[in-house]
Amino acid sequence: MTTTRAVFTPFAAVPVGANFPQLLKTASDQDALAFDAATDEACAWKFKAWQGLTVPLTAVITVAMVSATTGTTGWQVQVEAVTPADALNTITTSSFDTVNNSASTTVPAAVGNTQDISVTLTNNDSIAVGDLCRLRLNRDADGSAITDSATGDAYVLGVELRDAT
Amino acid sequence: MAVLSDPDRVALWAKLMQDASASRTPLPLLKAELRAAVDAADAWADANAAAYNTALPLPARTALTSKQKALLLMYVIERRWEVSP
Repeated sequence: MTTTRAVFTPFAAVPVGANFPQLLKTASDQDALAFDAATDEACAWKFKAWQGLTVPLTAVITVAMVSATTGTTGWQVQVEAVTPADALNTITTSSFDTVNNSASTTVPAAVGNTQDISVTLTNNDSIAVGDLCRLRLNRDADGSAITDSATGDAYVLGVELRDAT
Repeated sequence: MAVLSDPDRVALWAKLMQDASASRTPLPLLKAELRAAVDAADAWADANAAAYNTALPLPARTALTSKQKALLLMYVIERRWEVSP
């Protein structure tokens, strides 16, 4: 069984790294994060690890393609879990765990249709109840780890975080 | 001029994808297939540069610089693209 523990929206995303997906409003008045097809772009959401947390966590990414109707996308999710009093300078330093890769997922046959892409967060930075955490999402646009062959932007419309409870 | 450098072709390839996204135009190609088309179009332009030059009448053929001839061709193609259905 799984339970939804958090839902992350585009407007709550924070830029991380050098390249950030464009935050925009679609013609249908939805907020969206536009992930480029050629350059890896990443963002992150912050959350507190909830009471009753049970691993493994699963991130479910809702994606719509802007122009591609063929090909695949690949997504990478990382977790950073900072326990109170950890010896980490959180002001200057990030400590994301190893990436969790999605499958190379075929895009919907029609522009704008959504699909959910699940990524099991096996590498979870030893997340524990009460940790201050960040979830980092990256489109592997350059295909360094996952085949990402779809052209054009991918709009992320929301991300759901589930645990194994 | 020679064919475009690899970074130039990558930039062109990315621009095509960005344009398609911005205009919400369906693009039923894989990235690799679009890149192959970019490479082929550039290679064709390079291979046919001499033929284009020969097609220009005098005195334009000798009076215009290479840059001016390229601009002329770019404007012709741009206009053809604008008026095409």
